[in-house]
Amino acid sequence: MIKRILSLLFAVALAEVCAAHVGSPDVYFQGEAGPYHLVVAVMTPQMIPGIAEIQIRAAEPGVRQMRIVPLYIVGEGSKYPPPPDVLAPSKDDPQFFSGKLWLMASGSWQVRVEADGDKGSGTIAVPVPAAARATLPMQRGLGAMLGALMVLLVAAVVSIFGASRREGQLEPGAAPTVSDRQGARLAMAVTFMIAVVLLALGGGWWKSAAAKRADRMIYKRPELLVSLAPGNTMTLHIGESQWHKLRDEVVSTRLIPDHGHLMHLFLIRMPQMDRFYHLHPVQPAGKVLAPVNETGPGGFVQELPSMDAGQYKVFADIVHDSGFPDTLIAEVNLPQTAGQPLTGDDSAVSAPIIGDAKSAPLVSNLSDGTRMIWERDNGGPLHSNQLLWFRLRVEDANGKPVNDLEPYMGMAGHAEFVRDDFSVFAHVHPDGSAPMAAVILADKTLPGANGAGAAPMANMPSMSSSPIGSKVSFPYGFPKAGLYRIFVQVKHNGRVETGVFDARVQ
Amino acid sequence: MAHSMPMDLAREGLAERASPKALAVPWYIWSGLVAVSSIAFGLYWDISWHMTIGRDTFWTPAHLLIQFGGILAAITCSYLVFATTFGHNPRLREASVGMWGFRGPLGAFLCAWGGVTMVTSAPFDNWWHNSFGLDVQILSPPHVVLAIGILGVEIGFMVLLVAQQNRADGALRAKFTRLFLYMASIGLFLHLMLLAELIDPNQMHAPMGYRALSLGAPMILVAYSLASDHKWGATIIAASAMAMRIFFLWTFPLFPATPKLGPVYTNVTHMVPLSFPVLLIFPAMAIDLVRQRLGNRNKWLLAAALGAAYVATLVAIEWPWASFMVSPLARNRIFGMIYFPYQFPSTLHYLAYKFEPTTAAEMARGLVIACVSATATSRLGLAFGGWLAKIRR
Repeated sequence: MIKRILSLLFAVALAEVCAAHVGSPDVYFQGEAGPYHLVVAVMTPQMIPGIAEIQIRAAEPGVRQMRIVPLYIVGEGSKYPPPPDVLAPSKDDPQFFSGKLWLMASGSWQVRVEADGDKGSGTIAVPVPAAARATLPMQRGLGAMLGALMVLLVAAVVSIFGASRREGQLEPGAAPTVSDRQGARLAMAVTFMIAVVLLALGGGWWKSAAAKRADRMIYKRPELLVSLAPGNTMTLHIGESQWHKLRDEVVSTRLIPDHGHLMHLFLIRMPQMDRFYHLHPVQPAGKVLAPVNETGPGGFVQELPSMDAGQYKVFADIVHDSGFPDTLIAEVNLPQTAGQPLTGDDSAVSAPIIGDAKSAPLVSNLSDGTRMIWERDNGGPLHSNQLLWFRLRVEDANGKPVNDLEPYMGMAGHAEFVRDDFSVFAHVHPDGSAPMAAVILADKTLPGANGAGAAPMANMPSMSSSPIGSKVSFPYGFPKAGLYRIFVQVKHNGRVETGVFDARVQ
Repeated sequence: MAHSMPMDLAREGLAERASPKALAVPWYIWSGLVAVSSIAFGLYWDISWHMTIGRDTFWTPAHLLIQFGGILAAITCSYLVFATTFGHNPRLREASVGMWGFRGPLGAFLCAWGGVTMVTSAPFDNWWHNSFGLDVQILSPPHVVLAIGILGVEIGFMVLLVAQQNRADGALRAKFTRLFLYMASIGLFLHLMLLAELIDPNQMHAPMGYRALSLGAPMILVAYSLASDHKWGATIIAASAMAMRIFFLWTFPLFPATPKLGPVYTNVTHMVPLSFPVLLIFPAMAIDLVRQRLGNRNKWLLAAALGAAYVATLVAIEWPWASFMVSPLARNRIFGMIYFPYQFPSTLHYLAYKFEPTTAAEMARGLVIACVSATATSRLGLAFGGWLAKIRR
């Protein structure tokens, strides 16, 4: 397992602000760099510009060196990659490499990892969306020390001006007169007053400069406005975000489809998480919508399926054409809805109330009579801030593994990790937490890639055309302790099945 | 005194060299010159580093040069203060001022103050970068604290030097004056770096550049030329500062370097220098001429004349010069209009050759403000220079 190295920066309790997913800023990824299978974790810093930590594990020995370089996925800033950093294997584990990445601006980054070893070399592109999450308050010790130094320096400069007036202009050996001493006291008083005024102005400037910077730099999630129209129709509007507008060149406000859809909508009933819906709203073509809000990239419409009444937490995943993802959040109160049956890629599940069972079961019954089993290594506790592998197996009622899982939106499966207070929501695929659209964009920039040809897809185990079998696995790290519900979605016999598991994380 | 041999003899030696009848420049003046030059050139290198390579830790050569200058200044001044306070040398003590129980040359205290301020800015700057990001802004609050510290070190050594000058005469005094003018030109060199973002050629057909140049620069030129008592003090200061800038403009791009930090928007291959300097030698000459002709008049009148002459000459020279600099004739290594930091998108390079727009009314208003600033700061310069001219300790 990859061990998590604690961040060098003091982390105040992680703010909820984060771009893709909610409260889950680290990137977990696996893929093929030529002949090598690599698992990559990137811990992004709280403040951008900042230093991210990257940890890479090669699945097999034989990799002698890794070279990493961060660059934007698209745009002007992607043309001239700086020279890569060279990583040597760790002394304790020759398959483990770690290093640092300098992310100098928010945006849709990728890290190119080139592995060199016995089998030759290969490159993988890992999308890393970077957005400033929080500034750091000054530690008390530092503040006290700076305050003390400030007092010392003001006292000293006052005395220096006093000394200057009293004796500075006297010939060597001459003694100061009474008038010199009086003048010195006056000079000191004036200096003190000027110093106090300058410090007050300076303090005011510091506060305003800090506030302006924080305001400009910290990620702001666009608002999601949800409303219900007659006929079981839900309309969604994405509000404007000044943060995105300021970074239009590198983040952009135009959307691209991510594994087949412009928006992935998740509705989870509060607070018990006993109803889960995964829907795909569309932008109406030529249809006039009563707008909830005139601004933003536009409206979406979802014809609701039959849904049970309740207060629902809404998560909407979108990807911009830079590869930068956002997860928008809202809440909506829904009445009992008698709607259309689920079609296409839409799916739903009912589940027990979260945290109900004394011990969280590792088996989830699927609607077609099969079962999903969570293969936990040793049943031991789960820890936060650690890369974990979630391995699941689907078997029939007799306990025999099925061999006919089908791709669901192009992948072996999709998993959603949600904390019981909804402060964490992560939508993860077998190759990790990066959105598919960003992975494809990044792969296109690799030297030797030929546009949307077979090469990019071959790097992703989830997109391989070989049959899926009965197992699916996801790399993920919980960002903090707590009770989580994990929804795992696979496709079997033409239906989307959702397994539900609870996990207590320490 | 007979029983306290080698230490006292050494201090006697020190006193000999510091006394009014000394025949040579004291060692601590040379030390000060090296320290202040090290800080100033280190800062220039650091700015160039950030435009070229980007990636930076506490220990880059440019930072080391700045830190070395600060440490050298601190050691020099502490030694001076301790030698004066605890040494048994009456001549040193006579030529000293007292503060907090210590005695030493006035400049040494100010310089030490500057050094402590520089050191104070380091943890502040570290926190600021951790909190608000690693990009470099010239005028962030911690950088302003650093700038005040550097100013303290620089003016501290100026005071140390001018006290020597004011107690000397003849050939030695002339020597001190030359060193003083060199130190003053470093002060102007530092000030011009502070203004770097406001006075590029494409900004010199608009008011802001002239207003910025009418704040600190007249005060520096007036004060230090007055204190040096040299007929062409301001001219020498401006010419030296310009020469330093031009020297670095011609030499930095000879060294290969590439950006180590993305995103990279301009493909840089050698160290990016700062721009060709504003032609301050001409307004400086105007200052010298006005002082020569009107030196004994009422100080406010003199200040008004200095301010007006400065701004008028500055505009008359810089306006056509800026037109030359944005033209294709200046796009070569001599005038340097071909260098861009790696952070600057190549699609925007054309902006460097396009004047920032303004109106005649804005320009007129701006120049009036510039004249008023130049007058006010010339008056301050006269006061400051007059004070420096009287320092003896």
